[in-house]
Amino acid sequence: MSPAKPQQGPAAPPADPATKAELDRAFEDLYRAHLRDVYSYSYYRVGNHHDAEDLTEQTFLQAYRHFERARRESNGRPLRPWLIRIAHNLASNYHRDRARRPTAVLDSANPISHPHATEQVVEGREELREVIHGLTDLPDDRRDALIMRFALGMSNREIARALGRTDGATKVLIHRAIKQLEENLDAERGEGTDDD
Amino acid sequence: MTEAAGPNLEALLADALRPIEPPEDLSGRVEETLSKVTEAAATQLSEWADELTESELAALRDPRNWVRPVAAVAAGGIAGTALVVLELRRRRRTPGALRGIADDLRQLIE
Repeated sequence: MSPAKPQQGPAAPPADPATKAELDRAFEDLYRAHLRDVYSYSYYRVGNHHDAEDLTEQTFLQAYRHFERARRESNGRPLRPWLIRIAHNLASNYHRDRARRPTAVLDSANPISHPHATEQVVEGREELREVIHGLTDLPDDRRDALIMRFALGMSNREIARALGRTDGATKVLIHRAIKQLEENLDAERGEGTDDD
Repeated sequence: MTEAAGPNLEALLADALRPIEPPEDLSGRVEETLSKVTEAAATQLSEWADELTESELAALRDPRNWVRPVAAVAAGGIAGTALVVLELRRRRRTPGALRGIADDLRQLIE
């Protein structure tokens, strides 16, 4: 063998084309089934369509790279929590990167986590707008859990897997998130009444 | 705002956080990117495979040949360790050699 050839290692024989084709088909199924979930989650995390599209694309690229292993290790369990976990981590990186940029002052004046366009989605209904506003005031993990529950319809178990928590901890997290949101909305309503 | 308590709040959340349909062109864009990645990987693999003769490919697939690289790495490790041991011994011997020269000098002077 020529010494200039890449060292692939003895444990990496060329992939069986039939297996590869089957794997690609399975990934295509996963992609078609969950494109909307990944996009919705990304959208509610970043608040605009442009970045949500980028995040969705990155999520599926990363998923594709690790799909074989994920499928092997999932033991037949659904892969949606794994996909959403990738999107979740990428969204966290996105916010971390944005916070480090010098434009952070402008960002904080018009928070990037605030889903501006979502307000268009809720079609002007004031009460829904208030709920969306209330969500942005929640701690990250509580807000993310509510997005997974209500935008994606994920079960406690799925959310637990996506967030790397136990089922019990996730149940408590969601309960507290709803309670805090309710209290925040009540408080805002109280302030609104005082102003009148 | 209406009373946003308990189940009512959950209904409001479900209404506010409706799933968002991805733009139509996104699906095509992601599929195109994935196709490019797959093609690039396949091209890279086939180019690499093209450089190998049939017997080399067969040899790579044969697990019996996987022992050789492992043995080579192990032999390299042993050789490296031996060099380190020799160097340590040499360093340990140096003060002794100096002591010997000093003793010889002392005997000459006496």
